[in-house]
Amino acid sequence: MASVEIKNLQKSFGQVKALHGISFAIPDGAFVALVGPSGCGKSTILRLIAGLEEISGGEILIGGSVINDVESKNRDIAMVFQNYALYPHMTVAQNMGFSLRLLKKSKPEIMKAVKEAADILGIGEFLDRYPKQLSGGQRQRVAMGRAIVRQPQVFLFDEPLSNLDAKLRVQMRAELKALHRRLGATTIYVTHDQIEAMTMADIVVVMRDGVVEQVGRPLDLYDAPNNAFVAGFIGSPAMNFFQVTTKANSDEVVFDDGQKLVLPSYVELDGAFKIGMRPEHLVQCPESSGFQVSIVASEQTGSETLLQAELNNQDMTILLRERFDAAPGISHNFTIDPALVHLFDSESGARIVI
Amino acid sequence: MGSAKARTRRNNAIIDVLLFSICLVLLLPLILLIANGFKTPAEMLTWPPSILPQNPTLENFRTVFTETPLLRWIFNSLAFAILSMIAIVVTSALAGYIIGKFPFRTINIIFILFLTTAIIPFEVYMIPLYFQVKALGALNSIGGLLIGYLVMSFGIFLIRQNVIASIPDELLEAARIDGAGEFWIFWHIVVPLLKGPLAALAVLAFFQAWTTFAWPIIVMTRKTSFTIEVGLANFQSAYTIELSLLSAASAAVMVPSTLAFILLRRHFVEGISASGLKE
Repeated sequence: MASVEIKNLQKSFGQVKALHGISFAIPDGAFVALVGPSGCGKSTILRLIAGLEEISGGEILIGGSVINDVESKNRDIAMVFQNYALYPHMTVAQNMGFSLRLLKKSKPEIMKAVKEAADILGIGEFLDRYPKQLSGGQRQRVAMGRAIVRQPQVFLFDEPLSNLDAKLRVQMRAELKALHRRLGATTIYVTHDQIEAMTMADIVVVMRDGVVEQVGRPLDLYDAPNNAFVAGFIGSPAMNFFQVTTKANSDEVVFDDGQKLVLPSYVELDGAFKIGMRPEHLVQCPESSGFQVSIVASEQTGSETLLQAELNNQDMTILLRERFDAAPGISHNFTIDPALVHLFDSESGARIVI
Repeated sequence: MGSAKARTRRNNAIIDVLLFSICLVLLLPLILLIANGFKTPAEMLTWPPSILPQNPTLENFRTVFTETPLLRWIFNSLAFAILSMIAIVVTSALAGYIIGKFPFRTINIIFILFLTTAIIPFEVYMIPLYFQVKALGALNSIGGLLIGYLVMSFGIFLIRQNVIASIPDELLEAARIDGAGEFWIFWHIVVPLLKGPLAALAVLAFFQAWTTFAWPIIVMTRKTSFTIEVGLANFQSAYTIELSLLSAASAAVMVPSTLAFILLRRHFVEGISASGLKE
């Protein structure tokens, strides 16, 4: 086990800069998720930590020592790839024992380690099979087994669940988390799925365009996003954003269509802002209060109601925990607890803190 | 439903008959050739030709094996074809892998150079190559014959395409992280995964060398160092009338190449059915 520290990490592919000076630290034994839209550089960070790409600038430290120039095989890491990268011509046992074989461990020693890992993952009965004889979930477990067998200092996961179907993904999510709890190894997990990041990680690093937008605990990101990007990325369905203006000494913000929302805590603000409201925070209210939206469509799932609506010709989503019979084209009034409203700078998108 | 099934059955029958007749047309010359080897000179000249010999004789084979160095020629061809096959498989595997997985600009230029050699006909540089082999004193030797048959640009291309299509980078990266060296990766991961295409290439390379004619005829001038193709041609001029002897020699020559094909064919099929990672 070891801590991982990333200091001003930069990476360029030719003229293209993929990472613009990334810094964050991962405490020993933590489960960290790197999350962001595709092309944000999250996989590049993982590949730099693994030593599969050369670092253009900055430093990576594992267990306190700089590993920039240390070869992959000497970094004491294990990586699980999206497509599992199992050797098709080797059995499950051979795949799992591969790294130990390279370390010139004895056959009984390898078998013992492989058996142990296989028991943890529940794949003991498949040891003599070939990867093509396994299902997606089983292959995923073998890939994890191959990583466990090494007992590395750091586990790296590169979108390991994206090739699985939705149900299996949820199941594997829980298993991965349980595995982490059991092994206690420092884990860096790359995903584009914010739900995965939120549910599994101790710390989430949100990235965009080669820059870290925010690092924090999952619920902190949800409750207090640093900027409009993080606010929109974390949470599903995504946050609704609208342009509003407010004047100093007024406790109201005004939407573009003139509708108003009372926000007592923002009295001192003056100018144009972006307001962010999570779909699940909106509640129905009498016509005399709140703001009016017109319903476009409603989806009833039994436990909740998802409404597609329009406010000032702009799409918005509303998630209600109760049944709500809304005919398209009809207007309804909604409001939100002022404490749950997020306000962002309309230019930079930065969070307005009061 | 029933009529649709009947139609499928009828279509299948028509396809079977068609394929069978194509097979027959393809096989007929071969059958005639083998049959001719067992015919007497008189029967050879009858019209229409008989498919099965009336009075089968082994005389032709006896003459061919005792009066010409046919076995020696077969040995020369075998040695040449096997060595060329090994060289081509090794060079193509190495070069194809490196070109496919290490795409630096210089390597790509080298690959393009490899490819351009494929569009220059061998006949263009055959004579200059002959003079070089002569200057090296390698005429009439397998070594001299092998020059020009050690590397096959198509082989490199074939392996490169297979490497790109069927060996994901992650497989190599996983091995690197696990501590495997580059040559270890090549030998224990890349080569086993390329078993199919390499076997196919081996068959190709073997038969390319086995059937080549122009190069051996100019490099091998001594009768004992002929390859089988050259030997057979030589036969023809020496025994123009003795068609039955030529047939017997040709039939005998087919045995090793047919055997080689049957042996390698199994790998051929394996190679096609063996799939890579996940779909």
